Amino acid sequence: MFKNLRTKTSITPWTIWLGLMGLILLTGLVSGILVFWNGLVMTNLSDLVPWGLWITIDLSSIALGAGAFSLCAGVYLFGLKRYQPIARTATFIGLIGYTMATLALILDIGKPERFWHSVVYWNTHSLLWEVTMCVILYLTVLVFETMPIIANLEWLRKRLPKIAALMEGVHHYAPFLAILGLGLSSLHQSSLGATYGVIKARPFWFKPEMSVLFMFSAIVGGISLTLFATMLSSRLTKRAKINDVLIERVAHFVGYLLIGYFYFRAWDALATTYTYDPGRSEGLRLLTKGPFAFNFWIVEMLLGMIMPMILLLYKPTRMNPFWRMLSLMLVALGVVAFRWDTNIAGQLVLMPYLPGAAIAYTSYRPSLIEILTGAAIISYGLTAFSLGVKYLRVVDHTLVETAHETVHVNSTEPVTIS
Amino acid sequence: MSKQTIKRREFIKLTAVGLAVAAGTRAVTQTKASGDAPHGKRQWAMVIDQSKCTGCNYCTLACQAHNDVNPDIQWNKVLENGVVGDQQVYVPRPCMHCAKAPCVEVCPVKASYYREDGIVMMDYDRCIGCRYCQIACPYEARSFNWETFTGDNPAVPEWGTPEVDRRPRGVPEKCSFCYQRIDRGLSLGLTPGVDADATSACVVVCPTGARLFGDLNDPESSASTALRENASYRLRENLGTGPRVYYLPAVPEALRVEV
Repeated sequence: MFKNLRTKTSITPWTIWLGLMGLILLTGLVSGILVFWNGLVMTNLSDLVPWGLWITIDLSSIALGAGAFSLCAGVYLFGLKRYQPIARTATFIGLIGYTMATLALILDIGKPERFWHSVVYWNTHSLLWEVTMCVILYLTVLVFETMPIIANLEWLRKRLPKIAALMEGVHHYAPFLAILGLGLSSLHQSSLGATYGVIKARPFWFKPEMSVLFMFSAIVGGISLTLFATMLSSRLTKRAKINDVLIERVAHFVGYLLIGYFYFRAWDALATTYTYDPGRSEGLRLLTKGPFAFNFWIVEMLLGMIMPMILLLYKPTRMNPFWRMLSLMLVALGVVAFRWDTNIAGQLVLMPYLPGAAIAYTSYRPSLIEILTGAAIISYGLTAFSLGVKYLRVVDHTLVETAHETVHVNSTEPVTIS
Repeated sequence: MSKQTIKRREFIKLTAVGLAVAAGTRAVTQTKASGDAPHGKRQWAMVIDQSKCTGCNYCTLACQAHNDVNPDIQWNKVLENGVVGDQQVYVPRPCMHCAKAPCVEVCPVKASYYREDGIVMMDYDRCIGCRYCQIACPYEARSFNWETFTGDNPAVPEWGTPEVDRRPRGVPEKCSFCYQRIDRGLSLGLTPGVDADATSACVVVCPTGARLFGDLNDPESSASTALRENASYRLRENLGTGPRVYYLPAVPEALRVEV
């Protein structure tokens, strides 16, 4: 794919890229229409495995969109202002990730025309209700946060300069949006884990650390994807201008985060059997020896944590753009594998409800239509990001933002208490 | 003065907002969707005597007909469960109508809810089809409508006539204890569990009388009596869901003779 981008034909690499993405999008669109027309019978989902590939895409794109809130919180709340250009990229990726998740959900629910019910009919006990509300609210925050980025559109600046200026002005509220984003994201990123963690009927999921794991992995994966996308675009186009020092510093930080994530994930998985609850060892066996063994040991543990951890903490490899990029990509991939393994493995263990019956297993393999629509959702994300890089200066570390409004406090003024 | 006016205005605004919020909360809490099932005057329960069940599947067929269920879906499943003596033992499994039902707790839109009488109901017009209830149900009691059920119902008319609407594509469905028969029967002055017209179809059709239905608040109901006089158990009791379906375990001396 990237070889094509470098060949010099009459067609530019850019048009080949757009053509390819357009093709995948078109196939996905047709498949999506077929799903809406014929119903979820088109999928390989069943009453035993009702949540499949689409839910994994939904979980993964929300997780990988988490760079937005983590980096915005770092920049605007913890005072790490010089990383602001990276936070900009992360915000744009966040918006893409959350819209991808919305697309996946619309496909997945049986009654897409009733999606608004979750806003109107509240069940405050439901984790999924909380997640839905937070995602909707956070998507709104993201729209505001990306307004200054959208304002970079050349067309908008020329045709509607006043509106562009207004949109650009939103960045003055960035710290407040960052607070909102941090709150809403902490809520739903962890609640996505709790969505599984509260299901008492499935002991493999039923544990409180599920929320913490989802939260932690989302931060690690989200930041990594942002850095990877930034570096990749700087290699492919001159429009992406990066300050490699910034990326290297954050990548170093990711290396340290990975130690924590690796410790926590390994402890969580390998301590699964401690409670001796039936169903937990069976779930673990699926991960360590069963159909998920490659995913668990190789993709999640080795490639997703251990290898990038070493490569990012060891200075010579971290300084090398190739190894750094590879590591960051693998981290993001590992988080996706974690979501897939957790979501599917928990459903494949069938807990018996008859007295004395043994635990059984089922299987799930996504149907072609699930894969085609899923690929379209992903290519939508890729297209949106590459358009952003080309036209909105999404990756531009030379772009300097004007200072944020600060509160001036006169220290000599007497303080009156009313 | 001007300060005061602003304050008054703000006060009025705040009051209005407060009232709106209060009204909103009231609207929201109208249907009981979380916590324990409300305890109304009647508390329906089903008792299934495994000594009497022959696994004939009549209950499933009657259910399919009366509730117009897609033949691919079974609200009531009859499952083999071990052998006592030389006799096969069965567990018929309807919805457990849990007192603390995971499906009700997790539903994001309160499409699953508790009725006053303990029946766990589905609002098929509200459900968005997210299937979280299927993920949460410990008894696999819910089936999703992956496609529209069109055409004839093979169980009709031999096993009964439909009493409720078919569910649309895209929502999960499950046993409702034949709430329509209970409600209609009560309005006619009949007693569910005693009068056939007011009792769940599976209970009425059972040829060996293995199923009993009644009000747990009425000590004389058949369900209460059976539970008082016999040892009983419920499925996956350790989860604390509090099922309203009780089983009387098969005992060798009481095991049915060939029918």
